[in-house]
Formats: sequence, C-alpha cells, structure tokens
Amino acid sequence: MKTKDQATRQIGRSIPRREAREKVSGRAEYIHHLRLPGMLYGKIVRSTLAHARLKSIDVSAAAAAPGVAGVITAADVRKIIPDPYYGPIFHDQPILALDKVRHVGESVAVVLAADPHLAEQAAQLVEVEYQELPAVYDEVEAMKAGSAIVHEVLRPAGMFPDFKDLAGRRNTNLHLDFKLRRGDVARAFANAEHVFEHTFHTRQIMHTPLEPIVTLAESNGSSVTLHTASQMVSVVRTEIARLLGWPENRVRVKTAFLGGGFGAKTYIKVEAIAVACALIARRPVKIALTMEEQFYTINKHANTLRLKSAVGRDGRISARECEVWWNGGAYADIGPRLTQKTGFTAAGPYDIDNVHIDSYAVYTNLPPAAGLRGFGVPTLTFAYESHTDMIARELGIDPLEFRRKNLLREGRAQATGTVMRDAATEAVLERLAQRMSWNAPFDRGSGSVRRGRGIAIGFKASISNTTSVAIVNVYADGSCTVYCNTVDMGQGSDTALAQIAAEALGIPVESVKVAHPDTDLTPYDMGTLGSRSTFHMGQAVKLAAEDARDKLLALATALGVPVETTPIADLFRKRYGMQAGNVVGVATFNPKSNQPDHATGLAENITPNWMVGGTGAEIEVDTETGHVRVTRLVNIADCGTAINPQIVESQLSGAAIMQYGCTMSEGIEFDAGQATNASLADYKIPGIRDIPAVFVNEIVAARQESGPYGAKGVGETGTFGVSAAITNAIHDAVGVRITRLPVTPEAVYRALRANSATPLEE
Amino acid sequence: MMSFEIAEPQTLSEALALLDPEDPSVRAIAGGTALMLMMKSGVFRPTRLVSLRKLADAHTRIDARANGELAIGALTPLAALEDAPMVRSRAPVIAETLRTLSNVRVRNVATVGGHLAHADPHMDLPPVLIALRARVAVASRRGTREVAVEDLFAGYYETVLARDELISALIVPAQGERRAAYFKCTTRAADDWPALGVAVAVDGAGSAIREARIVLSAATSKPARLRAAEAILGEGTADAVLARAAEAAAEEADVMADGHGSAAYKRQLVRVYVQRALRRALGAPGVNERAQR
Amino acid sequence: MAAGRKTIRFTLNGKPVETEIANHHNAVEVLEAFGLFGARESCAQGLCGCCTLLVDGKAVSGCLYLAAFLDGAVVTSVEHLERDGALSPVQEAFIEEGAFQCGFCTPGFVLMVEQLLDRCAAPSEDEIRHYLSGNLCRCATYPQIIQAVQRAAEKRKASAAA
Ligand SMILES: Cc1cc2nc3c(=O)[nH]c(=O)nc-3n(C[C@H](O)[C@H](O)[C@H](O)COP(=O)(O)OP(=O)(O)OC[C@H]3O[C@@H](n4cnc5c(N)ncnc54)[C@H](O)[C@@H]3O)c2cc1C
Ligand code: FES
Ligand code: FES
Repeated sequence: MKTKDQATRQIGRSIPRREAREKVSGRAEYIHHLRLPGMLYGKIVRSTLAHARLKSIDVSAAAAAPGVAGVITAADVRKIIPDPYYGPIFHDQPILALDKVRHVGESVAVVLAADPHLAEQAAQLVEVEYQELPAVYDEVEAMKAGSAIVHEVLRPAGMFPDFKDLAGRRNTNLHLDFKLRRGDVARAFANAEHVFEHTFHTRQIMHTPLEPIVTLAESNGSSVTLHTASQMVSVVRTEIARLLGWPENRVRVKTAFLGGGFGAKTYIKVEAIAVACALIARRPVKIALTMEEQFYTINKHANTLRLKSAVGRDGRISARECEVWWNGGAYADIGPRLTQKTGFTAAGPYDIDNVHIDSYAVYTNLPPAAGLRGFGVPTLTFAYESHTDMIARELGIDPLEFRRKNLLREGRAQATGTVMRDAATEAVLERLAQRMSWNAPFDRGSGSVRRGRGIAIGFKASISNTTSVAIVNVYADGSCTVYCNTVDMGQGSDTALAQIAAEALGIPVESVKVAHPDTDLTPYDMGTLGSRSTFHMGQAVKLAAEDARDKLLALATALGVPVETTPIADLFRKRYGMQAGNVVGVATFNPKSNQPDHATGLAENITPNWMVGGTGAEIEVDTETGHVRVTRLVNIADCGTAINPQIVESQLSGAAIMQYGCTMSEGIEFDAGQATNASLADYKIPGIRDIPAVFVNEIVAARQESGPYGAKGVGETGTFGVSAAITNAIHDAVGVRITRLPVTPEAVYRALRANSATPLEE
Repeated sequence: MMSFEIAEPQTLSEALALLDPEDPSVRAIAGGTALMLMMKSGVFRPTRLVSLRKLADAHTRIDARANGELAIGALTPLAALEDAPMVRSRAPVIAETLRTLSNVRVRNVATVGGHLAHADPHMDLPPVLIALRARVAVASRRGTREVAVEDLFAGYYETVLARDELISALIVPAQGERRAAYFKCTTRAADDWPALGVAVAVDGAGSAIREARIVLSAATSKPARLRAAEAILGEGTADAVLARAAEAAAEEADVMADGHGSAAYKRQLVRVYVQRALRRALGAPGVNERAQR
Repeated sequence: MAAGRKTIRFTLNGKPVETEIANHHNAVEVLEAFGLFGARESCAQGLCGCCTLLVDGKAVSGCLYLAAFLDGAVVTSVEHLERDGALSPVQEAFIEEGAFQCGFCTPGFVLMVEQLLDRCAAPSEDEIRHYLSGNLCRCATYPQIIQAVQRAAEKRKASAAA
C-alpha cells in the first residue's frame, strides 16, 4: 500500500485501454447487441410534416398486420403517464406527439412486433391525418414578429432557477435570452479608431455515433429497468421516475460500452418511448434507431453569429459585441443551457474591457438540437477566430501578433469577470506558433494550386455546479472495483479512472476494475459530457480511493502491522481470519462556481476550469474547382496533466477530425423541414482518405491545480480551432473569406469568382 | 422487403426462363449490392429474385479474343476485373477507374452485369466503357444481341434492356494505340459517388488525333458523349484547342443540379476536368508502349 | 417450410452449420442468430464497414449481403481471428497503437486490414488509405489505424522470419 507522499506510478502512463481485447475481437458489450427473451421491437411512425395539428391517427390496419403485438399512440401513453412531457430545461417534448407535430420525423406512434421487419412493414400502415400549419426554419426569422410559433406556451422544467421566470410566456420562439454586459460598449465604439462587423453561419450537424441511439426497457410491473446507450444514466433515472411518478429506486438504468456518443446520447432520447411501450405491452421493448432516424432525433444547432469589434490605434480590441442565434429546433433539450454556458465565451479568449453578448435560444420546426463535442464552442470559435483574423488582415497586422496583443492571459478577468486561472492560453498560442514555424518562409504554391496557412485558438469553460459521486470497493485479495456512472463511450474513462484509483491506492492498475453504470449499484453522476469526467469523476474517484486508503491505513495501525510493507490482502486476512470483508471508500466532488448574474451575465467564479485548444492548418486550394486540401493540421491543447498520453493524443486527433468534417462537408440540408441528406450516402463524415497527411497533436506543460493529479478534460479541446484555422488559411491562400460552413468546393469557387468580379450564376 | 422467393437457376437459359417480361417485381440479382439498397429503402419490393450466382462459374471468365477484344463474363466481380492482369495490360484505364469505385467490399461482390444494368448515372465504369467503345452481349429466350454501352442507357436508372433480358458479357475492344483517362471528381468527401465523371479516349498521338471520345457521367441523367468537344479535337492538341474543346463541353453538357453541386458549378467542373482528362490521356503512354516498357 | 424461408448450410468459423433463414434477412442477422455480434449493422448501406465479414475469403458488407447467399460458403467473422486464446498480429497492433476508441467500427477495420496484408505484405500509406476508404470511424482514429497497419505488417514479417 502507498502512503501519501510516494512517487507517481500510474499517472502519465500510456497503458492500453482496459477493454482493448474485447474491442478488437468483436466481443465488447454494446446495448445494440442486447436481446431479452420475449422482447418486442418498436418501430416509430414519424411525422411527415414540419408543423401540423394532429387530426386523427388510424392504427387499425397496422394493428391487424401479421406479427404485430400492438400499436401505441399518445393516447395510450397518457393512461400511464398523464403528463408525458420531458426535457432538461423545458418540459416541452411529448413522448409521442399529442396535439400537434413540430418537426418532420417527430415520433407519432410505435408499432411493436417480435420481428423487426414486421414492425417496420406495419408501421407503414399507420394512417395519420394532419392539418398543416405555417412553419419556421430559420433562427433569425423565428424571432421576428409574425413568425409561426412552435410552442404556444413555455414550460420551464424548474430544475434550474434562472429559467423559472420564463414560465407561462406565450407567443415567442425565443426561449432563452442570455445577456452579458461588461463595461461601456457604446462609448468604446464611439471612440474607436476602427470598427469591424461580420456575420457567420453554420448548419446542423449530426453526431453520427456508429452505434445508433438504442434503448431496451423491461418491467416487472413494480419497477422498470432500462438498458440504454446513454451518456447520462443518473439523469435518465431521475427523468423516467418523474414521468412515472415513481421513486427513483424503482427505476434502474444500466449501460454498456457506447459505440460513440458525442452528445447525441444525453438526457432522454428514446428511453421514455421504450419505457412507455414496455409498460403498456408488458414485455421488454427495444427501440433501436436506424442511422437515418438519428437525423430526425438530435443534431447540433445551426447558428447565425454577428460579431462587432472596436479596435484602437494600438491594435488593442477595446470592445466586442456578439449576437448569437441558436437554432434549437422544435424541442429545447439542453440548448438553453448551451446558449448561456457557451454564450458567455462568445467574445473569445481575448482581454477586452467592454463586452456585450446576446445569445438567443430559438425554437424552429426542425429536429431538436443539443450539444455536440464542444457544446457550441467550435461554432463560436469559428466566428470569433475568423473575425479576429479579418481584423488583423484589415489592419495589416500579422494574425499571430494581433492575437498576442489581445490574448486573455493568466490572472486577467474574462468577460464574465472571472479571473483566469490554470488556463494556458499563452503557452498554447506560443507552441502553436512554433509548430507552425510561423516565422519561417512558406511555400505559397503556383499555377492553379495556391497554399495558405491559418491559426485559431479557443477556450471552453467546464460545465459548472455538477456533481460526481464515486465508490471504491477494495476486496479482501487487494483488488478493487470503482463504482461510478461515468460511461466509457470511447474516450477511455474506464482506463483513466482505473489509473487514478490505482495511483491513489498504490496498487497496480491491473488490480482495478471500473464497473459499468447500473444505477441500482453505481452512485450519482451528472453525466459523461462536456469533457467533465476526468476532472469531476477523476477527482471523485481519487478522493474515494484516498478514503479507502485512509481506512486501510487505519486498519493497519489498529492491527499493529507496518503500514508501508503489509500487502492489502494480509490486512484483511489478519482482521477477519480469512479472505473476507471489504473496505469501501466514498467521495462526492462538487466544485463550487456561481451562476452568472441574470441581468449582467457576470460571475466571480463562472467555472471550475478552462480548457484551451489551438489549431493551425496548412492548406492547398485548387483555384479552378475550389477544392481545398488540408495538408497539415496542428493541434495544441492544455489539458493539465495527461493521465494517459496515448489516449489524450487520440482524443485530440479524433476531435480535430470530427470538426474537420463539420468544417468541410457536414451539414444537414432541409427542404421544408425535411432532411434531404439523411444517410451516410449523402451526409459525408470524414473517411480515411480525407484526413490530412501530416497531423501534429500536442499538449503543453500545464497543471490544473484543482484537478486530480493536475488533470482536466480533453475530449472536446481538439475541435475548437479547426474551422477557423482552415478558413483563415483559405483566405491566406487565395484572398477569399468563407463565413458559412461547410466549406464546400463550390462555396470556395463561388467566392473566388465573386472576388474576381465574375460571379458564377446561381 | 418481405416474403419473396429466391430462385437459383444453374444455367443462363434456366435463368432467362424464370424472368417475367411483364412483372416488374421479378428481377435478376447478381451481387445484390444495388438491389439490397433498393429493397431496404422500399423502392423495390420483389416477389421473386432470380439469383445468377449459381451460374457464376461459366460467366466469370475474362477471355482475350483473337482480335484483341476482352470478353468479360457478366458475373465477374468488379474486384476480379480490377485485379485481372489481362485487364491491367490491355485496358489499364479500367483497373485505374476501379480503384476509387465504391469500396473493396462492394467491389468483391458487385458484378459487371449488375453495374451496367443498374443504370445509376453516377456509376464510374459506363463512361470509361463508352469511351473505349465497349459493347454488351444481351441474352433472352428470343436469342442474343449486342448493344453498344453507348446505347445501353435510356435515361435516369433506365436501360434499353427488356425485363426478360440479361447481360451475359461485356466486350471491350483492344485499347491498342488509344490513350485513355478517367477523372472522378467528388465534391463532398474523397470517398463518394462522383459529382462528375469524365472519360476520354484518343486515337493517335501528338497532333495527329484520328478519333477522340469524351464521355461525361454523374452530372447528367445518363452518361453522354460530348460530341462538339470531340469534333474540336480534330484540330489537334494544342493548349488552345483543348481549352476550346473544354469550353464546348461545358456548353453542350446537359448538366443537372443535385447534392453534389449546382448546375453552374458542375459546368465549371466539366470545363476543368475535360481538359485535365485530355492532358492526362495525351500524356499517358499508349497501351502498347506501356506493354513494351 | 413457410413461404419466403429457406434452409442454408455453410461453414461458420471452421464448423459446418445449418440454419433456417427468411429470404429477406441479411448476413448480419444470420451471424447474430449464432450469437456473433462482431459484425454489426450501422449505416446499413455498405459505407461504414461495421458489418464486415469474410465470405469465401473475401470481405463483404453483411448489411448488403443476402443471407441466402451464404449457402455453401465458407464464412469467417472477426471472432475467428483469435486462435488458442492469442490475438492476431493485426489485433495486437491495433491495441498497441491505440487504433480505436469506442470500438464499434474496430472489428470491421481489423478484418479489412487482415485482407489487405494478405494481399500486400508492406502496403504504402496511399495503399492503406485506398483499401480502407470504405470503412468509417466516427471516433476518427484513422491516424492510429494507419500506424497499426504498418505495425501489423512488421509483426507479420517478423513472425514469418521466425
Ligand atoms: C456503398 C456503395 C457505394 C458505391 N459507390 C459506387 C461508386 O462510387 N461508383 C460506382 O460506379 N458504383 C458505386 N456503387 C455501385 C456499385 O457499383 C453497384 O452496386 C454494383 O455495380 C451493382 O452490382 P451488383 O452485381 O451488386 O448488382 P445487383 O444489385 O445484383 O443488380 C443491380 C441491377 O442490375 C440487374 N442485373 C444484375 N445483373 C444483371 C445482368 N447480368 N443482366 C441484366 N440485369 C442485371 C438487377 O436486376 C438490378 O436491377 C456503390 C455501391 C454501394 C453499395
Ligand atoms: S452497416 Fe454495412 S457497411 Fe455500414
Ligand atoms: S472507434 Fe468509434 S467509430 Fe471507430
């Protein structure tokens, strides 16, 4: 056993993932594979219109079809769940559509059958009669007077006090308006030497976990068990219990490995439908979405972003005004939280005295949006880092130099007023400049191939006021199991948490097992999202392991055996006369921070930590076709201590490639609310031939003093700068500015033509 | 896609007998890669699939005829075509085209006959085969006929084949001195269906071009020869001539907008890729020269 | 037998088997019926490779492969790569290079890499990228996968020399 001051042995080691063997041999457990005896498959009947009153649903033909065990509609759901609305911020989403549908693809009914093909076939026989209503799709339009209204009345969930005063508000699609007011922006603009204003746009992105969203629910009448591919088992339990009006201990939520999550598998997705069906049918029910159905279930917000800056003669930004519209789709999901939590970073990692931010969460008649790897930060970074580059170029200042002049450094106050601590903005920017060889000559290409390079830096506040609880159970042979609700969806949490527990207990990592979430056994955690687990759960596990260690030390002292040299197993044997007993360590980690002031958005301590990421891109543009090739991508991050450097590196490159897709090719296209590219045949995520030839992923030497062994999260950091680094590089190469993602070859070619005053016809 | 019959004839004539000239729900299935997608999406609901797989052995041969033509059995998997030394030496442009056609798993299963009969205008091989003046042998209970690949496609997902006809072989004339090239231009990801396919084959070297074929696919409702551009190449291969040919190509092509790009943009791609394909073909060694090296 | 159904016989991971299938089933559903979940349907369109299996020694997308076509074939799934409790060099290389995260795509990549190395003992990076272009990894472990292929090639060379 280890006492407090022994040297680190497990931290900073690139051990392979604990579950590596199962994963390469096809034996890893996913909910996708799970089948239970007597199980039914549920096939969801979906709305074909974006906004319509439901006049009638005729299920008779479907119910009579071969193999069909039942057809469920909202009327059936209401019998067991009288108020069947859910949502983390607003109780706005019905389990199945009730009075109206608000987006194409909304769940209207479910057909149940033991054979999924029969369920699918019968689902086509459900007849739904609609009365079409005017619809709204654009986030800016939706805020204008006279727009179609998606929800007649706002129903805040009441979980977060700052949303309470929205209750009962009518006739508005705006469901959260976050304001930040710092300094005197109007005066700064009036006195400014230069003023710049630019507008940017992004589109909806699909998370595309390769294991599509899936839940299997079963019930014995008095309790319900959900096997669900969820990043948030505790929250699912709370919400299902609330819907059913049951105590939480009658709802059990289990998960396995997730085949990717990226934010898609958060809060309630198909869990409520599966539970309702299982209770009604009295048989286990599996709802497994297809890839196509995922497009109708959740996506990342489309945005409009307007940025305006005042810059002085000295090249210092004196004021920045940001207006950000978040297209939340038909249901708020976690959007309002994102609007606020990410909104307050909209001015970027710059030291600006006067900041004015308006961040709007807006309902539209499109599928609901939520966080996707970065919780909106990559979108904001695209806007503010493009804007920053545009200003630098206009002023004839080197973009790196301009950033250096304005960078938000350690000890300075961020827009909210919170003083920056343990945020290595400076180290990240400087290392990025080095790895980009920014001062060395650069080959700019020739003929129809032009080369350019760009940089961008972004930052993210960790999700605040959240709680993680961990139990470390040491067995009598000296091995131990960590019980916690962190879900390993590929980010390597099982491995990192095992390393942390092993380190704290002074035992080999091979002796530590991390149990998979099962809310009957594993304690509360807010969720596996927002890169919070290494910091929050890591700390909880460390504290729990230390608690266990302290108890073991006390035991050794009580037994009068040498603390340092007695193996753990001997302690138990000596105490109980045989291999028996447990020592259980428990800890809760809930770092304090404050909510932003309602009127000003200011807060003294807005976040427990900051994550900082910078990206540099070298690119080639084919000026005859607009094709852009990224030849080198450099990602630099501050994640504090790397618990497992190999996993950290692959998180950085994976995040960067995902954002590369969001930059270059991805974007859901809608026609009258209908997604027209809802399959991987038409919605292109990056493949192996798309990725840059040269990839650099590095972390800077840094420590998060409040994190476990100096660590903090890294799952999203690689995304921040990618989009703007690429668009800045395109501008560097060919002088055109792309302000709308994705950067398709056609968009670049059109911009080139417009730039040479020979615009291409529509 | 439920409850249908799968027939597994052993010979071509048995297979032909199982097809139904009137019933669109009876279809041949070869690799099934295209049909499975159509069945999954509900575009095609079969009552009977006539599997051609048990007659595969007799129809997966690639033979060189005395006149230098390649005769390729209709059930030859695309991967076998890609790997066949005879194809690599006599019509290397086909092997090159296959490298970025779909993916390894699809190429392992999809067949030459299915590829041609499916008539998706985004297919990569048809423009190349048209440029090479290839033909298909078509069989039915009424006998056999030959159809130039150029004449095979009637429109978007449509061929001139009757419901009870099957492609039995693909015949590719020896490439000989002709130089050929194919460009697949994708606009959404490297690995994708083409936004534009341009195949060219030029007969003759240097400025003495005897015949040129320029074929456009993917951007049009079916693969189409660009005859005005072809005619201009009669004037030689000077840069200015190529540029004029490309201009003519962009002018005459009946380009459609879709998820890969607008019509105006694709017209620009035609302009660029016709020139690039011609340059590549003219720069490439002829097949005979290649063989001698 | 009911209409639209059929009995097929084939060799599965070295053993002869027989099973009844529905004509509309695909090869993934057949493997699932045998308790094999290494091939899994994701895109359902032949694009992602999660459903890869080997039929008569060739990689195919199980999602686009009719179950009936397995009749008489020799079928190998990823579960068969492990021999006497030992992983294949490709599997080992994936672990050593950390060439996966969530692991959902991994069996497909592993099988494809086995095929690639059977064809070409020392593929170039360009050949690796082309061969694997039909496999998607949303966790985007592509850089690590390329390294794993190179490492696996070395391992195979070393064990052939030994
Ligand atoms: C994921 C994916 C990506 C793809 N990407 C590309 C690409 O980039 N470029 C490209 O060119 N292609 C691409 N393809 C298409 C691929 O080339 C076709 O799926 C394939 O060629 C069809 O061949 P098959 O043997 O599987 O046809 P099947 O699916 O068996 O049949 C297709 C059609 O042809 C008919 N048919 C089959 N054989 C014959 C015959 N001998 N005579 C008459 N009719 C017949 C069938 O009745 C059916 O109507 C892609 C396919 C997939 C699944
Ligand atoms: S599921 Fe078959 S290739 Fe994607
Ligand atoms: S490891 Fe997650 S999809 Fe590849």
